[in-house]
Amino acid sequence: MSSTTHVVSLSNIQKTFVTRHFFQLDEDTHKRQIYRKRVVNAAMNVSFGIRRGEIFGLLGPNGAGKTTTVKMISGLVKPDGGVVEVEGMDVERWRHRILQRVGVVLEGTRTSIWPLTPLENLAYYGNLKNVTGKRLFERSHELLDFIGLKDQKNVQVRYLSRGQKQKLAICIALIADPQVLLLDEPTTGLDVQSSRSIKDKIIQMTREQGKSVLVTTHDMHVAQELCDRVGIINHGELVACKTTEELLTLFSDQQFEFRVDREPAAGRFQEIRGVREVSTTLSADGAVLTVRLVREPDKRSAALYEIVSTLHGDGYRLLGVNQHQESLESVFLQLTGPGPKR
Amino acid sequence: MRGFFLIIKAEIVRSFIIARRYWFRSLTGMVIGYGMLMVMIAGFMVSRDKVETALAGKFDDPTAATNFVLGFIIGMFAFSVVGMFTQGLQGMARTGVLEQLCMSPHGLITNFLARSVVGGVSTVLSSSLMVWLVTATVGGKLHFDPVSLPVLLLLTFINLLGFGYMMGGMVLVFKHVGEVALLIRMALFALAIMAREELMHSSFLLGAIMHALPITDAAICIKYVLIQDQVRVVNDVVTQVSVFRHESFYFLLASCVFWTATGMMCFKMMENWSRAKGTLGSY
Repeated sequence: MSSTTHVVSLSNIQKTFVTRHFFQLDEDTHKRQIYRKRVVNAAMNVSFGIRRGEIFGLLGPNGAGKTTTVKMISGLVKPDGGVVEVEGMDVERWRHRILQRVGVVLEGTRTSIWPLTPLENLAYYGNLKNVTGKRLFERSHELLDFIGLKDQKNVQVRYLSRGQKQKLAICIALIADPQVLLLDEPTTGLDVQSSRSIKDKIIQMTREQGKSVLVTTHDMHVAQELCDRVGIINHGELVACKTTEELLTLFSDQQFEFRVDREPAAGRFQEIRGVREVSTTLSADGAVLTVRLVREPDKRSAALYEIVSTLHGDGYRLLGVNQHQESLESVFLQLTGPGPKR
Repeated sequence: MRGFFLIIKAEIVRSFIIARRYWFRSLTGMVIGYGMLMVMIAGFMVSRDKVETALAGKFDDPTAATNFVLGFIIGMFAFSVVGMFTQGLQGMARTGVLEQLCMSPHGLITNFLARSVVGGVSTVLSSSLMVWLVTATVGGKLHFDPVSLPVLLLLTFINLLGFGYMMGGMVLVFKHVGEVALLIRMALFALAIMAREELMHSSFLLGAIMHALPITDAAICIKYVLIQDQVRVVNDVVTQVSVFRHESFYFLLASCVFWTATGMMCFKMMENWSRAKGTLGSY
């Protein structure tokens, strides 16, 4: 992974966690085991990069290794192998210097100090990140204004709503004006308005200020709306890493639906070169022939032409053709589900 | 260095705001502390004869009660400093503040050093106020030496800091150590109360253990200055011997070097281990 084009780059990252349990009940045998060792692969040769001004989404089911990846970029977790670089600097070697350039919001933590107000919190964390004096004053007000907490700046954090606390956590991460922002599940548990507002702010600061953002989420709508590129991680393995559009195209361009006046014989189409799967369903105005084609454009075009010719030759009336639109959610399920991965 | 002072500034402001915002809680804490000491002193006064008779068998010391009360305050200081690294760290891990500290560019050691300095100074100030109030109430007399006392307090603090770093390092990896550490804090508290020169000489093993622990020699030196006014009786002759020439002072110096080096090394190693284990900052 070239670090010259990427603000953040991960190359062949490996991380395994070993947990040891004593006298734990075995779920299968229902017997207590004296000693049990459990090995979890949180990252297996994970490589990807984040460009300047890009929002990169890291998707994966629970326990896939998303948070571990974020923690490895922020230096909280040491990788077993591989190199993590931020702005060309190795995180292991320049951890403290890099932390000045990276803002992190981790999931499920309080981050802010509840007896203090948002303004006081920003002053406290600003000092911890070397931001002082006039710059701190201006930056704090600017951030609170930007994120929409201007009116709550003097209210103790414990009286703020969950969404407002999350907004404050983002402000804290941004206090030193970092180039890189790592957001671990930033919209989890928030209402629609708060979630929308946070997403808008993330997009705004990426587009206007050129910040590079890594967002981990298991909410596909968040990823689809927010991310320029998406990496899908499962059991510590990066199973896909493409732009959101590419990922949707890759999985949606294979399935076509032909609406015809009556039910066709599926076997006739199964023999056509380039056809992988055929199924038929009855509909109110006739039937739907669903065909999954190969990915290669030439073969796919030829197969499409052949299907239309066959339908015409057999006397079916073609009422319409649809290309099946996949959502990121179905792509995600195909990649991380128990079925075969493509 | 600038970073260290910035953290100190941030900590002072934070502590001041919280103390002011929750002034009733702060005041109640002081009143409860003062009340506890007064109850203890009252208990001593009521059963003074019995206590002195009991202690006379072991030590020929007319200042046993003062010794006890002062030991109590030094013990509170030790309890509080080590507590910042154990239960304090555990609490910060629970709330997520520890993760933010771990991601501060100044590093965890500097962050904790600054936090402890602020916490230590505020404990010394509140303890001094308590000592002054108690002595004023009961009409006792303590000998404040402006030269030796700050030096001793600083060395005591450094000693406890080193020990605290070692404990804190363990809490970073094994968060539940924080709960067990309460016993260690209680032990330090008890040691500060019990610490007497006579105990050091009672047996080789006990003496060695007492010298190895971070609070014993510090407590003996502070008591020597405040209670005995740096006066020793050698061959029935009362002689003024500076605390800096006291045997325990040298042990205190050695202890400072030992605990600081061990503590820092242990904390750094444990921080790395915790990063490898993936438990740094999280509970």
